[in-house]
Amino acid sequence: MTTTRRNLLKFVGGGAAGALLTPAPWRLITDTALWSENWPGIPRPGHGEIRARFTHCTLCPAGCAVRARCVNGQPVSLAGVKPHPISHGALCPWGIAGHHLPYHPARVRQGPVKEALAAVARAISQRGAGERVAVLDLRPGRTVSWTYRRAMAAIDNGLYLAPRQPDYSIDLNAARTVVSFGAPLFDGWGTPGNVFAARANFRLVQIEPVETRTAALADVWLPIRPGTETTMAAALAGETTIAEAARVTGVDEQAIGAVKEAIASGPAVVLAADPASPLMSLNAKLHAVGHTVVARRESPLPEAWKKAAPATEMAAAPDRAIRVLLIDESLPGGYVPWQEIQPKLAANAVVVVFSSSSEGYGRHAQCVLPAPVYPEAAEDVGPAIDTVAAVFRIAAPLVAPVVPVVNPGELVARIAGLPQTDPLRERADAIHKAGCGTLLSYADGKSTPLKAVTADDFWKTLNQGGCWMDDSGKKAAPGKLEFPAAGAQPHDDLPLTVVAAEPRHSGLESPLMSKLERESNLRMTANALAISPADARSNGIENGGRCVLETACGRLIVVATIDPGVPAGVVEVAGGPRMADLCGASQRARVVRA
Amino acid sequence: MTAQNQLRRVARYGMSIDIDKCNGCGACMMACAVENNIPPAPEAANDRRGVTWIRVYKVDNHRAYPERRTAFVPVLCQQCGHDTPCVHVCPQQAVDVDPQTGIVGQMPERCLGCRYCMVACPYHARYFNWWDPKWPAGMEKTLNPDVAPRMRGVVEKCNFCHGRWHAAQQKAAAAGQTEIDAADYVPACVEACPTGALRFGDLNDSSTEVAQDAQRPESFRLLEKIGTEPKIHYRSRRDWVREIASAPRPEGRDGLRG
Repeated sequence: MTTTRRNLLKFVGGGAAGALLTPAPWRLITDTALWSENWPGIPRPGHGEIRARFTHCTLCPAGCAVRARCVNGQPVSLAGVKPHPISHGALCPWGIAGHHLPYHPARVRQGPVKEALAAVARAISQRGAGERVAVLDLRPGRTVSWTYRRAMAAIDNGLYLAPRQPDYSIDLNAARTVVSFGAPLFDGWGTPGNVFAARANFRLVQIEPVETRTAALADVWLPIRPGTETTMAAALAGETTIAEAARVTGVDEQAIGAVKEAIASGPAVVLAADPASPLMSLNAKLHAVGHTVVARRESPLPEAWKKAAPATEMAAAPDRAIRVLLIDESLPGGYVPWQEIQPKLAANAVVVVFSSSSEGYGRHAQCVLPAPVYPEAAEDVGPAIDTVAAVFRIAAPLVAPVVPVVNPGELVARIAGLPQTDPLRERADAIHKAGCGTLLSYADGKSTPLKAVTADDFWKTLNQGGCWMDDSGKKAAPGKLEFPAAGAQPHDDLPLTVVAAEPRHSGLESPLMSKLERESNLRMTANALAISPADARSNGIENGGRCVLETACGRLIVVATIDPGVPAGVVEVAGGPRMADLCGASQRARVVRA
Repeated sequence: MTAQNQLRRVARYGMSIDIDKCNGCGACMMACAVENNIPPAPEAANDRRGVTWIRVYKVDNHRAYPERRTAFVPVLCQQCGHDTPCVHVCPQQAVDVDPQTGIVGQMPERCLGCRYCMVACPYHARYFNWWDPKWPAGMEKTLNPDVAPRMRGVVEKCNFCHGRWHAAQQKAAAAGQTEIDAADYVPACVEACPTGALRFGDLNDSSTEVAQDAQRPESFRLLEKIGTEPKIHYRSRRDWVREIASAPRPEGRDGLRG
C-alpha cells in the first residue's frame, strides 16, 4: 500500500471525526473554561480549632444573644442562642453577617487623633461664657452613656445630648391586641425573637398608609390616609365618632368599630413608629399603663455614678452655644438630623465624630476618629423597648480591632479628667452587690441565682456568654405618656408624605447585603424611593430613573421605583444617613425629574 | 440488616415553607451566603446576574391599592424528585441526585458553564458565576472552611447545606450510630429564619413536622403540574398565593419591585 496524499487526508479526516466521539474535545472545552479563569487570588478559608463563642449583637438596641462559630479564633458564622429567654435564637440579616464589618472596605481606617484632641483642648480652654461642651450619644442607656454623663458633669457647662429615650417598656406577652400606628413590629422593632415568640398570642392591627412587611403579616391592615392617624386614635379613644374618623381617614366604619371592640375586649397596647409619638398617650386612655405598658427597668448602678449630667434633647439645647461637640456614632442608633444640630453650634465649633463610617456625621465634622465596630468592642446593651425585665449583657469582642481605633468612652473620660477605670466591671460589681436576679449562662443553658455566684465568676460568665436578668417584683407604671406633637408643616409645595420603607441603619452593613438589595430587590438600596404610578406620571418620573427628592431640609438625587402598592400622595424612602438628614425632620416631600 | 432497615436509611430531605409567616426579612439569604461562601456582588451585578441560592420574591395579588396584598416567597432549588430537569440536560454529569438523601447536588469542578441546566430549571433556582469571586481584603478570613468557593464560569445552586449533612454523618459515625440526629442537620436558612417559617426534615419520616406540613390542605408545590415532584412544600391560607404556584413561571418584573 502506498501512502498517497489522498490516503493521508482520509486518515486525518477520519481521525478528527473519530475524536469527536471520544470525551477528549468535551474535556478540552471544560479545561478551556477553567484556563480562561482570571482569578486574582484564590480565597483560602482558615483552618484550625473549631469553637463556639458567645456574645451579644450591638447593631441595634435589641442586643440579641449570638453564638459564633470560630475557626482558629476567627468567627466564620453567627447564629442566635436558642434557649435565650428574650431573643429566642433569632438574628436579623444585619446581625447574621455582623462579623464582616471589621473588614468593610468603606470603614474609616485612620484619623487625626492627636490633632483632634489638641483642637478640643484648645476650644475648651478658649470658650466664652455660656459656651458648652457636649457629647451626643446616639445609643443612650449603655454603660458608656453613664461615662459620658459623668464626664459632662465634671466639665463646666457640660451637656449630655441624646435622642429622646422612652421610660417605658412594652410587654407584648401580656397583650391580646396590638394596635400599631406604623411601628415596624416585624421589621426591626424591639427584639425580633421576642416579637415572633409572642406573635401567636396577640392579634395585630396595623394602621399605616403603605403595606409594609409588618402590614403584610398583620391580622388586620387598615390603609389609612397619610397624616390622619390622630383622628383614628381619637376615634379609638372615644373622643370622636367612628363616622367622622371614617370620613377623615378613609378607613371603613365597620373596620374601625371592630378594632375598637377588640381593644375593649382584653389587654391591648398601642404602638407608634416613633416611641415618643403623642399617639402613645392612647395607652393611658385604654388603661394599658401598668399592664402592657410598664416602667423601663435599669440594672443597678454604682453609687458614685449618680452624680451625672441629665440627658438633654437636641431641641432643648441653647442655640449657637455648643463650642465642642463630640458625637458617638460608633454603634448604629438613633439619628438626629444635621439640620437640628447645626443651629446649636457656636460659630467656631469643633465637631469630632467617633465612627467607623464617614457617611454619617463624618460629612459635617472636622475630625472623624476611627471607632471599633461590632464585634471588636466590649460594650453592654441596655434593655430594648420590649424587654420588661432589667437586663445586663456584655458584647464581648470576638476579634481584635483590625485597624487602630479610638475608644470613645475612654477618650471622653480623659478629656473630662475622670479616672481611667473599667466601667463595665464597676457596673457588674454594683449588680452583684445588689444580689437580685439570675445569671443565665449560654454555654450550658443554666440559670443560677446571682446570690450563688461570686463576683469574679459573674464577670467571667458575662464575658464568656451570659446574661443577667431580674424580672422579680411588680410591674410599675411608667411616667406620663405625654409627648409633644411635631409642629404642622406647610403642604403647599411639598405634596407627598414620607414613609420609611427600611430600618434607618446609620452605620456600616455587610457587603453581603447586596444579596437583599441589588441582587434580589428584596430591600430598597440606600438613596432610593418608591412612588405611585399616578404621582410618577404627574411628575414625569420613569421606573428605575433618577429623580430629585426635595424636603424642607434639602434635596437628594435618588433612584425611583414605580410601585402600584404605594398610594398616591405617599413616597416610600429607603434608609441611610443621607435620607435621614433629608427626611428625619420633615415628613413632607416633593419628587421631581432629575 | 433487614429490608425494612435498609429502607429507613434512605432519606428524602425536604422543606416546608409557611408563606403566611415569612416577613421577607432576608435572614435566610444572608445565612445562606455566609454558610456557602457566596461572594458579595460586583458593581455590575443586578437581580438577574447576582448569586443567591435562596431568593425571597415579593409577589402581589395584582390588585390596585388598597386591595393590593403582598407576600414573600422564598425560592430555592426545589430538589426535584422525579425527572429532575437539570440532571437530564447536563452534558458533563455535573448534576446528580444523591440516592441516600434525595438531594440534587452540583459539582462545580465538573461544570462546563454551558448553562443548559439554568434553561431547563423551571424554578430559576440556578445561578451562574459571571465574575471571579472576590471578597474585600481581610474578609476572606470569615469564609466557611467546610465549603469550597466556586470559580467564575460555573453554575451553582442550593444543596441543602450538604457540608452540614457530612458533619452530622461524621458526628453520628463517631458516636457509633448509623443514622444522624435530625437536630444535627439543619440548613443555614432554616436555622436563621427568625419567624419559624422554614422547616426542614425527612419527608420519608411521617413523624417529622415537614412531612406533616406536606399533607396539610393548604400545602402546595411550585409548578406541581409539570411532574417534577419538588421536595419544597409551601403553604398559605391565602387563595391568591396558592394560585401563583401554578403560574407558568414566577411573575415578571411587573410583579416584582425593581
